Amino acid sequence: MSKPFFTVYCLIIYAFLLAPIAVVVIASFNAGAFLTFPPQGLSFRWYLVFFNNEVFMRAIRTSLWIAAMTTVISGIIGTMAAMFYVTHAGRLKETVRVAMLAPLLLPEVLTAISLLFFVYSVGLGTQNLVGMIVGHVLITLPFVFINVSASMESYDPAWSLAAQSLGAGRFTRFRRIMLPLIKPGVIGGCLFAFIISFDVFTISFMLKGVGMSTLPIQLFDYLRTNFTPEAAAVSTCSIVLTMAVVIISEKVLGLRIHRF
Amino acid sequence: MTEVSIEKLTKDYGQGPAVNSISIRIAEGEFISLLGPSGCGKTTTLKMIAGFEDATAGAIRFDGRDVVAVPVEKRDIGMVFQNYALFPHMTVEKNLAFGLEMRKTPKDEIRIRIAKVLDMVQLTGYSERYPRQLSGGQQQRVALARALVIEPKILLLDEPLANLDAKLREEMRVFIRDLQRRVGITTVYVTHDQAEAMTMSDRVVVMFGGRIAQIGTPSDIYERPANLEVAEFVGQVNIIRGKVGNRVVSTAFGDVPVSGDFADGAELMLALRPEAVELLPINSGAMGAQAKVLSSYYSGSLVDYRLELAGGVVVNVQTFPRTRFADGEQVLVHAPADRFWPLGSAA
Repeated sequence: MSKPFFTVYCLIIYAFLLAPIAVVVIASFNAGAFLTFPPQGLSFRWYLVFFNNEVFMRAIRTSLWIAAMTTVISGIIGTMAAMFYVTHAGRLKETVRVAMLAPLLLPEVLTAISLLFFVYSVGLGTQNLVGMIVGHVLITLPFVFINVSASMESYDPAWSLAAQSLGAGRFTRFRRIMLPLIKPGVIGGCLFAFIISFDVFTISFMLKGVGMSTLPIQLFDYLRTNFTPEAAAVSTCSIVLTMAVVIISEKVLGLRIHRF
Repeated sequence: MTEVSIEKLTKDYGQGPAVNSISIRIAEGEFISLLGPSGCGKTTTLKMIAGFEDATAGAIRFDGRDVVAVPVEKRDIGMVFQNYALFPHMTVEKNLAFGLEMRKTPKDEIRIRIAKVLDMVQLTGYSERYPRQLSGGQQQRVALARALVIEPKILLLDEPLANLDAKLREEMRVFIRDLQRRVGITTVYVTHDQAEAMTMSDRVVVMFGGRIAQIGTPSDIYERPANLEVAEFVGQVNIIRGKVGNRVVSTAFGDVPVSGDFADGAELMLALRPEAVELLPINSGAMGAQAKVLSSYYSGSLVDYRLELAGGVVVNVQTFPRTRFADGEQVLVHAPADRFWPLGSAA
């Protein structure tokens, strides 16, 4: 493919992917009373309405809280699973991989319904967020697993042996040698977990208790009866929030891959 | 300094022993090589000394204390790995400090010891570099320094020169040997390269199939090999056959006196190194057997000849290229009687 053609080709793909988002963002600054495009005048009117809407604010807090818990739990379990998979699984390797990726392969609605049955049959119910977090962990685990095991593949087991010969115990070897070297995979996986958890609808919808909606559910509820640009403002904020998480982790934790 | 004693050490993975009841006593400050082809159990032995593999049976004693139950991190060993295994996310200085930090060495002392060890491996000024910014030989020296800076009881090296090119490998041989002498640390070196084992070691342990074939100084191993396998593994060798009669073996080289208990009439194998044979012009009037030059290979400092003796016996001879013989030329060959080493009866 010639270079100018390729550039145009890329631009079209980007436009295709980003145009809907741009539309939502622009629509959120609409001054009019209805969700229309192009907007009728520009204002922050609907952002103010959104920030003063206690129902949405609570939903955001709930979503952030669940996403944070999910990220931590998924990050720990997924990393441990990846470590086992790469170094110890042996003949079980393929089985472990398929089991870990299963939540990706099953339709989300099936997973959601089975989980609903499960949380009630074990007496957990949906009165608290535990069931919901379990569900979120389940569907985000494959992303942590894939990212961490990919970075584990370039981890030389001799590094751990060398550390051991120098006197480092199991925990020190993990903290000082392995973790820093697989960090890009762990952070990448955790970011996926956070974003997916923040965004997931079906699982949350099935497993939510009364009065504890996440942001996507609240937005869905809202759009059933209203059609104001507030929905666009909510979406825009949600996009900004997700991007902020990515950028901040990149800056603070450093996503740069070590080049050896 | 530590004396290491290995007693009836065995490792069995379940398909017969990989290391079969071997015993070695390593003196304080001694440099010992485990030499053998791949799969002979040398690396498994090293891993058991380090503690990375559990012994199925037997004992490993550091200064009389059995360490078999001691985990690697408490065994106080310094290990150099084949691919160096330097921590890629740490500078040279941090790599070197790691073992000392594990030992809770005070910061000031860490600094002093790192400076000292960097000087020892001639890498002063490299402390802020990352491993990827160093050449193979420099990485190798950092790996050595990292193992030595903790002042371990024993230094273990697992084919450390295998990844270097030929010229650097020879330099590193001398470097490691000198360093080991200066530090005076008891050292076990695993290699499949007989030249490495010979040039560096005080003693060489030759292993085949999980067993020790011979333990001895490099000259013991080379000049007085315990059996055919050792003779053929260490350097080039001609196997000369002959019948024993009256304490003499009659061979294509003539009668060779042998000491030792060999029954008359038995067929004996004698090891003869290519450089032990002298080549003379046919008309020199010297003693020797007649032979025909089949081919010759000139390599600068040496010439390798293939010769055919009476009865179709073919031998390889290595000489200095002072006098050259042409292919097809008749020559006289002679080898001193003491350069024939009996390897036992031919099968």
